[in-house]
Amino acid sequence: MTKDGILEMSRRGLLIGGAAVLATPMLARRSWASQSLVVADPGGPFTEGYRRAFYEPFTAETGITINGVARDAEPTAQFKSIVETKSYIWDVCTLTLSARLILEEEDLLEPLNLDPAKVADVMPEAVHPNMLGVDVYSAVLAYNADTLPEAPEGWAAMWDLERFPGRRCLRRNPIDTLEIALMADGVAPADLYPLDVDRAFRKLDEIKDHIDVWWTGGAQSTQLLESGEVDLIAGWNARFQAAVDNGAPVKIVWNGGLYSIEGWGIPKGNPKADLAREFVAFCAQAEMQAKYTEDLAYGPTNLRAYDFIPPERAAILPTAPQNLAVMSLASEPYWKEHRAELTERFNAWLLG
Amino acid sequence: MSSAPSLVLSRFRSNPLWLALPAVLLLAAFFLFPMGRLFLLGVQDPQTGALTAEHYLRLTEAPVYWRILGITFRIAILTALFSVILGYPLALWLSRMDSRKQSLLALLVLLPFWTSYLVKTFAWMILLGHRGVLNTLFVEAGLIERPLGLMYNELGVIIGMVHAMMPLAVLTMLPVMNGIDRRLTLAAGTMGASRSQRFWLVYFPLSVPGAAAAGLLTFITSLGFFIVPAFLGGSGQTMLAQTIITQVQELVNWSFAAVLASLMVVAALISIWIYNRFFGLSTISGGSSSDGVRASSGILRRLGRRFLEFMAWISSPFDRFGSSIGNDDRGSAIYPVLALIFLIAPMLVVFPLAFTSASSLQFPPPGFSLRWFEQYVNSPVWISATIRSFGVALATAFCATVLGGLAALGLARSRSRWNGPLFALMLAPMVVPRIVIAVGLFYLMAQIGLVATNTGLVIGHTLLAIPYCFITIGAVLKSYDWRLNQAAETLGAGRLTILRRITLPLLRGGVIAAGLFAFVTSFDELTIAIFISGGLRTTLPKQMWDDMFLQLNPTLAAVSVVVLVIVTAILLAAQKLQK
Repeated sequence: MTKDGILEMSRRGLLIGGAAVLATPMLARRSWASQSLVVADPGGPFTEGYRRAFYEPFTAETGITINGVARDAEPTAQFKSIVETKSYIWDVCTLTLSARLILEEEDLLEPLNLDPAKVADVMPEAVHPNMLGVDVYSAVLAYNADTLPEAPEGWAAMWDLERFPGRRCLRRNPIDTLEIALMADGVAPADLYPLDVDRAFRKLDEIKDHIDVWWTGGAQSTQLLESGEVDLIAGWNARFQAAVDNGAPVKIVWNGGLYSIEGWGIPKGNPKADLAREFVAFCAQAEMQAKYTEDLAYGPTNLRAYDFIPPERAAILPTAPQNLAVMSLASEPYWKEHRAELTERFNAWLLG
Repeated sequence: MSSAPSLVLSRFRSNPLWLALPAVLLLAAFFLFPMGRLFLLGVQDPQTGALTAEHYLRLTEAPVYWRILGITFRIAILTALFSVILGYPLALWLSRMDSRKQSLLALLVLLPFWTSYLVKTFAWMILLGHRGVLNTLFVEAGLIERPLGLMYNELGVIIGMVHAMMPLAVLTMLPVMNGIDRRLTLAAGTMGASRSQRFWLVYFPLSVPGAAAAGLLTFITSLGFFIVPAFLGGSGQTMLAQTIITQVQELVNWSFAAVLASLMVVAALISIWIYNRFFGLSTISGGSSSDGVRASSGILRRLGRRFLEFMAWISSPFDRFGSSIGNDDRGSAIYPVLALIFLIAPMLVVFPLAFTSASSLQFPPPGFSLRWFEQYVNSPVWISATIRSFGVALATAFCATVLGGLAALGLARSRSRWNGPLFALMLAPMVVPRIVIAVGLFYLMAQIGLVATNTGLVIGHTLLAIPYCFITIGAVLKSYDWRLNQAAETLGAGRLTILRRITLPLLRGGVIAAGLFAFVTSFDELTIAIFISGGLRTTLPKQMWDDMFLQLNPTLAAVSVVVLVIVTAILLAAQKLQK
């Protein structure tokens, strides 16, 4: 057992520093050929995009088979059970930044020991000791270009009932919604945190009666906009892109967007942790990340990926330079601390 | 070895409660034990494990949870009320048909039942939307000027939930109505009772056990809803199950989730107790009707009698128009047909969408295409999920019907003081929100290696299905004449012979209904599948969920159509075989 571990470690060491010894990856390939990893991704279009970008190239290079399975939308409870009962049904799992914080606090994540050279081009916000971000998603404003008289420029449009008549929709969640209210009230993105919660709720009071729908599921937000049920909506860019791809007259406003990051983490104590770390490090490469953007409207965290992405595709991705410049990162540490209390207050406010 | 069965048999003779033992054992191991562990979390400090009341104190600080509890009750009560009131005439209409016609039309009631919750909910979004099918029709017909707010409010939630629960109500009431001796109303008629009197004073009281069982089942099931209020509700419709899910999945605060889950269980138990005071619920468990009479006080019974007399009086002027029991006027079919249209309306949206040429759920579809069926058939993931779902659901239907049925039989024959607690235990899996059961089960099954196995899925689904089987079979047992058993016994039949030759054939309707409930429960179950399958042993609802969580496409509609066709074929074949 220990002997195996040492052997694996030394192989890994050789692999990482391995530019000098060309034969070593071949050796590793042969010895790992029969091995496999179970990787939990968000499912749906992700499985397809990740398969082409990460799973197949990784298998081609190392011989390790990757079994992609779909995880639940919020896998933290399941992740916790996996570690506590030591039933490692997943070797690697995608996490959001907020899930990372929760899992880190309970010591449920395996360290990744990423080689700094390998992640040099990756956005610093995406590199953590126990998680590597591989895609960026963003909460943005989207609108129906057929029904709105003019193009909104930012969140203030959601509050401007006269200039932008139409049905409105926000997410039934305090996350992003409070920030949106503050930005609409004139707070600069850089000054958002810590949130002025009272001010945010006061601002929300102004339009509470004019919000026709509060959405809960991502697929719902696509449907609402695409079917013409609502004209202005706050939600995730990829869901709105799906509506655009389906031919709906939908436009996205990047200005004032709040982005966040999703990426790989390994359950603590996983006996296959070393293989899993190889896989995670593999996913940091620009070329691989560029591949999934053909299927998914998410932004690569390795910004060099844009060298491989056509400009018209880049325009709809959150980390394209022109889009990233007008957005800001949502603060996960702030939400980690205040989420329970603000969720409670938000629910009470909705009912009140 | 040879003495053991006879020992068991003699005990089993002396106390029928032993029949409930298999179900009790299963529930104890896979329900009570994990639940106990989970509820312990509610009174423990997460770090030190010491006992604490801090999590419960939060309930006193935040009135919002009490409001949510109130909203949950309000929605569940309205749902149960409408499901029973709207379902009763439909069940009555069905019960008056000959059995062949009845089972064919009951298929239409079952139809929406076979459709995944997720798909049904999305179909309602297409029907009820601001620019939805109904509003477009109304506006174009000139009935209204501006679109009506049919959803994103309480109305939308109630429509979606009543639609989901009405089949359950109809199928619970139907076996009881089928068991009512129709000669009784005829006899009342020959003695001069008017149509209204025959219905309200003779037929209706006999059908009350079925209606009471249906009300209870739909009420308790509704307490745990979360998909429908989340998708069809507005800012005022938050139900307790949603907040529990938020605590478990988003905030990872299992302690407070345990507190909220306990709150829900306690509230449900109290309401069952109150229900029992009014409706003599012990009758549902199959206890003799004299128990029921004792349970409700004399005043209540007199009031009930007055109420029925009043109803008979008030409806007597309409005797000439409507029809009553025993007659079969054409006019009386108008309502049942409307009710059936309501039940299959979402499928009328789903069918065209399955054949759409667009890649979105645009309605009406712009063109015809079979591409979504091709995608389904060519996908090994979808096909294996379909096969697994059928297998798991069949195994669940068998296990749950046997275990729940034996328990109902045991409780029906027993006068033990254990009846009450056992009754509560049998219903308990229905009261506890599925997310709570799923989390507790996952924890246990991971420890004993049942995660990501078909066995684990069957056990989890059987837990959920037992209450339905127990109540359905119990309701039929209520009208079962135990003197038949005594008669058979005096003629020399053994217990097993009686069960096989007398009890089972008489209970057939109830047993088949129970099996169908169990099958559907498993077939449409998502929450436990999410946890137990671990993404490796995917069932159909889990696969649908994965697919639609990120992007909704017509494959879902195509899959629903395929499932519907296969299931209808199976049901029709089963009916042929029965004859």
